[in-house]
Amino acid sequence: MMDSDQAVAEVAPFRAKRVVAPPVSNAAPDAQYWSTQMSAVSAQRDRASFMRIYDHFSPRLQRYLRNLGVAEPLADELVQEALLTLWRKAGLFDPARASLATWLYRVARNLYIDQVRREPHWLPIQEGLDRLDHAESDRRDSAPESLIDQDALKQAIDRLPAVQAKLVRMCYLESKSHSEIARELDMPLGSVKSSLRRAFAKLQGSMGGAR
Amino acid sequence: MKPSHHLDDATLLSYSAGALPTALAVVASTHLERCAACRVRLLDADRIGGVLMQQQRIDAPTDDARAAMLALLDAEPASEPAAAPADLVEEEADPDRLPGALQPWFGHSVRALRWKRVAPGVQRIRASGIAGGDLMLLRIAPGSKLPLHSHGGNELTVILDGAYDDMLGHFGPGDVADLDGRTQHQPVTSPGVPCICVAATDAPLKFSGWVARTLQPLLGF
Repeated sequence: MMDSDQAVAEVAPFRAKRVVAPPVSNAAPDAQYWSTQMSAVSAQRDRASFMRIYDHFSPRLQRYLRNLGVAEPLADELVQEALLTLWRKAGLFDPARASLATWLYRVARNLYIDQVRREPHWLPIQEGLDRLDHAESDRRDSAPESLIDQDALKQAIDRLPAVQAKLVRMCYLESKSHSEIARELDMPLGSVKSSLRRAFAKLQGSMGGAR
Repeated sequence: MKPSHHLDDATLLSYSAGALPTALAVVASTHLERCAACRVRLLDADRIGGVLMQQQRIDAPTDDARAAMLALLDAEPASEPAAAPADLVEEEADPDRLPGALQPWFGHSVRALRWKRVAPGVQRIRASGIAGGDLMLLRIAPGSKLPLHSHGGNELTVILDGAYDDMLGHFGPGDVADLDGRTQHQPVTSPGVPCICVAATDAPLKFSGWVARTLQPLLGF
């Protein structure tokens, strides 16, 4: 392998370079990339950066909401609202506290609880918690999220045992309560909870380092 | 004072997922308002949600959808993005102020609460309009010993004032008891002031059963 690469390099260095270079275009943009786009949206009101965020995240948010059972027209509306929130509140985004994916996840989940589940008290409570956190993160000495290896968390999710993976997905992607999961899978409530506990411990471990 | 009893990981994960029944979410929020440690764990749970959301299989947005989004930006006033609001600092405990998460259901003031006596030494207020669960404030006289009981389903309790002890330890203001159906306990309230707590369950009928079973001996039948 090594030999043949070298042989090609000797004969045609230009072509060899193309062959061994990693496929840059396939690399998924990371938290750092999105943080840069957000600074441009916030500081320069840059529409091109905004649309890069839109192109990547809006279909994912739409799918997330559709999976929660939100009808298509409302899901489209909520996605637009989430992205408008991003445009309006870009100045509040702090990459040291949460990646853009985490931030948008929170925005979409809050819109879902507010406008689909119709729990009018959820939003003010979340804003209150957010402001408490903000005050604390200035005092806290934790690793910025952008430095936490997101790939490690992705891999940890992929490595979860089948049952734990299923329960975690039913929670996050179907918004099912412990009791609903227990009924649907015919599992004792206690087992549902202990499986979720084990899954959370593993995933938290993968985010390690910071605490 | 920092709470010493915290939310269960399974509860926290469901809270982040937006999958906790309303009554339980209200009580969990009450604890989160007072517990920085649980808010840090909640951020970890939100990260999991962020990754799962990003992993969704997708189609690229259509040209129409992109145009619609840009039209919405055109309609936005050309202003600076919102600046951060003043940080909320955990307030010095005003003994009369109910936690923010409870105010929509019970009002602002502890003094203004209209308690209903349900047994000697036990008063209660139930929140109305909660779907799929039960949310209530309880006020239990100091030095009361409740009968041994267990619950059906999940139950969350946060102490607002006063304290109690049971086999799981000492529970004071801000502490949360996050119990599932198998836990049996026999709380004994501390002497001095009444123990005021907020309790929620996702199994209303069984919880009513628990209330009945708890209160029957107190009522003497």
